[in-house]
Amino acid sequence: MEKQVTARNVWERIFTKLNKRSLWMLHYCTGCGAIELPPTMTARFDMERFGIMPMVTPRQADILLITGYLSLKTLKRVILTYEQMQAPKWVVGFGSCTINGGMYWNSYITIKSLDQYLPVDLYIAGCMPRPEAIIEAFNTLIKRIDEGKADAWKDYYRNYDFYKENQRKVLGEFETYVDIKADAKRFGIV
Amino acid sequence: MEYVEEKKVVDDIKSVFKEVDCIIKRERRVEVKLPKEKLLEFALRMQTNWDFPHLSAISCVDWIDDGEFELVYHFWSYNRKVLVSASIRIPREENAHFETLSHLWQPAKFFERDIHEMFGITFDGNDDMSKFILEEWDGPPPMRKDFVTREYALSFYHFREYHPEWMKDLEGAGEK
Repeated sequence: MEKQVTARNVWERIFTKLNKRSLWMLHYCTGCGAIELPPTMTARFDMERFGIMPMVTPRQADILLITGYLSLKTLKRVILTYEQMQAPKWVVGFGSCTINGGMYWNSYITIKSLDQYLPVDLYIAGCMPRPEAIIEAFNTLIKRIDEGKADAWKDYYRNYDFYKENQRKVLGEFETYVDIKADAKRFGIV
Repeated sequence: MEYVEEKKVVDDIKSVFKEVDCIIKRERRVEVKLPKEKLLEFALRMQTNWDFPHLSAISCVDWIDDGEFELVYHFWSYNRKVLVSASIRIPREENAHFETLSHLWQPAKFFERDIHEMFGITFDGNDDMSKFILEEWDGPPPMRKDFVTREYALSFYHFREYHPEWMKDLEGAGEK
């Protein structure tokens, strides 16, 4: 029995080792923060040297970068997108707006803290965070994936009721296309 | 400044609507204040007689102290190169309504939907008053002056508490 556990840990460690050098970032931009991504992707800062590349479909992406403010309309699309992504997946909140609303602190239509609606692995503070900060954040994320600490996506399966309740509170009833509870059983999380 | 074309536009308007307040604001800008019953006739003449084929926007102002909504219709002429802003005032009520211009200009449908969403003004004759941009919204019309956005945000959203000590371990992280 104990042998099995150690064996799985070794596999897990191999998985994370491979995972951390091949991350696909979903090419989905929600706010003004997306303007910092072109220099991050291209020659000057070149995030490809860390193995991170943009990916156009959520089903093949690993990182969901929330670049800036989220209005309710966008939040719904982000939730639908997030649920379509295959685990393991990581959410990075980008800029002050995802942390506490930022300059939209008294807006009636933007959410004030992202982690009420989606499990966030990492926040990047600042308005705007420069590409250096994004690279730093990706390096931190890679380190945490390697150590096995970046598992907020499991939290979404574990505390789905909490997230769903908060989503319902601001968006009302809406249909998502992924059966999270069945997935949680499949992953053996609940 | 000569204001040649602007003066011609004002003369055109004055020739039919003698009573209305019509001034040249500056180069290429003419402002007209109409009684609300005259707007349909005015718009029709703009389109057919005076060569203003383009309704470029409808905007709305909430004069809460006067108890009125001001609707401003912006007409543009490609040939005459003048923008005429015709404004009317309607009483400010919970269910304020006004007549549509969508049978004269198709794009007016969208402008009117937008105003309906933001100010709660219904346009009679416009059959599509569904949600336009604020799809997930079912609060009061947010651009009305009596809507306090701060209070609404405080009661509706979860705000994060501020803990400066959380940032301690990040201090100096960028200086390595």
